[in-house]
Amino acid sequence: MKNILLGICLLFSTLLIAQNSYSIRGTVKDSENGETLFGATVFLKGTTNGAVTNEYGFFSLTAKEATYTVVISYLGYKEISKEVLLNKDTVINFEIEELSESLDEIVITAEETERISIKKPQMSVSKLNASTIKQIPAVLGEVDVIKSIQLLPGVTNNGEGSAGFNVRGGAVDQNLVLLDEAIIYNTSHFFGFFSVFNNDAIKNVKLYKGDIPAKFGGRVSSVLDVHQKDGNSKKFALTGGVGLISSRLTAEAPLFKDKGSFLVAGRSSYAHLLMKGIKELKDDKLSFYDLNLKTNYKINENNRVYLSGYFGRDIFNISKIIENSYGNASGNLRWNHVFNDKLFSNLSLIYSKYDYQIVLNFIELDWIADIKNYNLKYDFGYYVNDKLKLDFGASGILYNLNPGEVKPTSNDSPINYLKLEQKRAFESGLYISAEHQLTDKLTAQYGLRYSRFNRLGGQNMTNYVNNQPVVYNSELGIYEEGEELGEAFFEKNESIKTFDNFEPRLGLSYQLNTSSSIKASYTKSSQYLHLLSNTSSVTPLDVWTPSGKYIKPQLSNQYALGYYKNFKNKAYSMELETYFKTVDNRIDYIDGSNLIGTNTIETEILNGEARAYGLEFLLRKNTGKFTGWFAYTLSKSEQRTLGGNAGGLGINDGNWYNTAHDRTHDFSITGAYKLNEKWNLSANLVYQTGRPVTYPNGQYEYEGLSIASYSDRNESRLPAYHRLDFSATYNPTKNKDRRWQGEWVFGVYNAYARKNAASITFTQNNDTGQNEASRLSIFGIIPSITYNFKF
Amino acid sequence: MRLYIKSLLLIVLTIITACEDVIDVNVPEAEPRLVIEASLDWQKGTAGNNQTIKLSTSTPYFNTTVNNTVTGASVKVTNDATNAEYIFVDQNDGTYNITDFVPVLNDSYTLEVIYNSETYKAKETLMPVSEIKRVTQSLEGAFDDEVLDVTIFWDDPVDEENYYFINFYEEGDLFPFLEEVSDEFTNGNEMDEFFEKERDEDDGQEEFNPGDKVSFTLYGISERYYNYLQILIEQYDSGGDPFSSVAAEIKGNCINETTPDNYAFGYFRASEVDTINYTFQ
Repeated sequence: MKNILLGICLLFSTLLIAQNSYSIRGTVKDSENGETLFGATVFLKGTTNGAVTNEYGFFSLTAKEATYTVVISYLGYKEISKEVLLNKDTVINFEIEELSESLDEIVITAEETERISIKKPQMSVSKLNASTIKQIPAVLGEVDVIKSIQLLPGVTNNGEGSAGFNVRGGAVDQNLVLLDEAIIYNTSHFFGFFSVFNNDAIKNVKLYKGDIPAKFGGRVSSVLDVHQKDGNSKKFALTGGVGLISSRLTAEAPLFKDKGSFLVAGRSSYAHLLMKGIKELKDDKLSFYDLNLKTNYKINENNRVYLSGYFGRDIFNISKIIENSYGNASGNLRWNHVFNDKLFSNLSLIYSKYDYQIVLNFIELDWIADIKNYNLKYDFGYYVNDKLKLDFGASGILYNLNPGEVKPTSNDSPINYLKLEQKRAFESGLYISAEHQLTDKLTAQYGLRYSRFNRLGGQNMTNYVNNQPVVYNSELGIYEEGEELGEAFFEKNESIKTFDNFEPRLGLSYQLNTSSSIKASYTKSSQYLHLLSNTSSVTPLDVWTPSGKYIKPQLSNQYALGYYKNFKNKAYSMELETYFKTVDNRIDYIDGSNLIGTNTIETEILNGEARAYGLEFLLRKNTGKFTGWFAYTLSKSEQRTLGGNAGGLGINDGNWYNTAHDRTHDFSITGAYKLNEKWNLSANLVYQTGRPVTYPNGQYEYEGLSIASYSDRNESRLPAYHRLDFSATYNPTKNKDRRWQGEWVFGVYNAYARKNAASITFTQNNDTGQNEASRLSIFGIIPSITYNFKF
Repeated sequence: MRLYIKSLLLIVLTIITACEDVIDVNVPEAEPRLVIEASLDWQKGTAGNNQTIKLSTSTPYFNTTVNNTVTGASVKVTNDATNAEYIFVDQNDGTYNITDFVPVLNDSYTLEVIYNSETYKAKETLMPVSEIKRVTQSLEGAFDDEVLDVTIFWDDPVDEENYYFINFYEEGDLFPFLEEVSDEFTNGNEMDEFFEKERDEDDGQEEFNPGDKVSFTLYGISERYYNYLQILIEQYDSGGDPFSSVAAEIKGNCINETTPDNYAFGYFRASEVDTINYTFQ
């Protein structure tokens, strides 16, 4: 390992020598609202020298002394250029103008800038801007980030009403979801019908399906990096909307004489207000809300601070019988500091929390579970020269997990007080990564992440006979809890178990010509937190658990290869990628496992492995009156869970079986068409192979009931899922030159009323005694209307 | 606990425009297996001499007409402490009877079934149970304050882990309600279990009305049988909905000693039982 690090250092030092070179640095912003732009290209015309802005809009590039034409381009924005005499280190801040308002002015982006995106070694990444997400038809008009990314190749979920998303055959908990760098543990409102991200407060969303940059760690499948807007730094602005499910209001304005800005966004559902008026439902409450906050202050040219926050909650009360609420809360204080023209840094202090509460009044029980973390991280971007950029940094995350606390709600409750063992852990990471142009055509991104996970004491751990928490009972052919051998208490300053992992990340891109390239990547990553869920859909009450004595970290290796092409002057782009991924130590649950209210999770699980492979195709039309994409994925996702230490063959007799996220075929077409100044139309069509499920293969009579016997795990499939949605946006002409701008969005979800099966259940009819299969389909044809405004 | 949370999720699903319909589904078909329903239930206050064991075979899931009773098997129960043997007599209708069985609390028994020249064996301990102290009815309890509910109460012994099985039946219904209960959260307390019915147009269910006759049977059961019932009842109630644990084959305690892979469905249980009948006022 040491040798590799030494080698990297040597390589860099030889590249550091450059003569008569100066740097240009600055930020790129939107001229309308002052939002910094992430991923804009800054390019010196006539050279191959260029840079891409980071998440804070910052860029830096180095070139020999000369006069240059600096070209700034960003998809959906007007390209600008500026003459610069480079004879000293220079700071220039650019502002560029969005195109969407006046479509006639579309400028075909220049050929030179094109080469850079094709050239970048980063692959397996999808980026969506808030404006693109807004165009996609949404159920009940609720614009939704999580639903939008499912239209991209390689991303699926378990259908309507299921939380989270699955990337390249991975599980929901294998996605690192970040909102302004804070970990979001549950992305859903209403048990998965809507997502926690209020699109009005969001600038852009980046999804890494593989080739995960070394600065991210802790999950093995993907990173969903969501950035909130900074707030309008030019003028006070209000945006909002009134929909069938929720209403939104966002206020943003400059602060401190243009040295800063803020944004406050709120969203709330109001079904519960209507329910109050209905006698049968007056005691019920079904609502969610969220609040986004962001503010920043520019101390001087080299220092800027940001504060962002999120708070969201879901509340369900059913006739005073069940009271249930859950939600995420997060905050992030950041300090951007530019050390010099080449060295950019960001220090973040982040807090996030997810908690879940359920009160069952009829058995007088109050249940609370939560996960909290404090995260300190320091990231650096070092723009060494026009061929090399370095990213490096360190982070530490302290986790406190409360897997459950049960309280009686009254003195005569039959429930005894119970608090499950509180768990603590510290996860740290160190990384260095280089983006390095090796030759004119070959660019590499190579890096290494070192991660360490320390499961801290302050709790009891159960010991088992023969160190076997699960034992195979060969007589009965079932897995059972191991025999307990007492408990051992670990002091707070003691470590229960530590894990270390080196995670190399490698990406290569080879440019075939000015408009096409091939890329390859390898990513190793590790995951120390696991979401315990033995159901086929993730639910809000699923509990996170850290790795430790009995649960090992998940380790994944992913290999990907891709071909990329832009054509018709970048109006179209095409991506073809193939991947192969393995995950070690993926846990699965023994038959009939019970995860609720237990300290000894280890007695319910077996360590297994997973693998996934597939082919993804994406054809995108980026400019013009018609924009949109076609995505197709052919894939396989399987797992195998051997008996191992517990004995026996394992789950499904030790054979490979489909994971619940296996989808053989998955395609979607998404399109938006600007009909005229008043009307925008959009539509999407999706098709997916049905979800793997376990069906009965027989029945027998026991205790007077017909009991189903079941086949092997996930051996059957639900019927295929498909759906067509439309929406139309109407901008009244009187909007022109008015401060108040309104628009109406009309939508139809599931236009041909396909009864997609969310599940099929097998039950015995109480009236006839017959066994029958019932299909639960969530959404029929759903029309919607939303009014949005800007002021 | 799990059941309640699951029902919450299902309620939420149905509130949001969900629609349920019965459809035709092709399901896989497994080879038939022997089903052993060997329940030695010793009713409190009786001698427990009369016992019946049922044998049948499994059938395809949607099959309704097959005669699947098993005759010609030999069925025997042995008291492991005294070696006393109890031979059950084939009634040629799938049931096997005995009239001189001697139950002893906390004694271990072994079941032996020989069928198609394969020997199936199972072991179980006869578990005692507390008596049902009382039955009450109310409007306010349970989920709905406008319909009648009924609750039974019994005392849970402090010094041990206890597991219970409850069979609740309303006269005139096709099927009983089954419930498994442990004292995990309630050790040593007065235990209760309530039942309430909601009107359901689809399957002809009606809420309780004065005059309705119901019966409760409380069984003391072993931990392993509790685990078995927990899976069986959850799978029966949920039928594979997305919020229950992934459905799986339920393996009982009847082992095929001749061909282990050809294990039998069902269970050999031995329980002390208390039954109470109640008529709604």
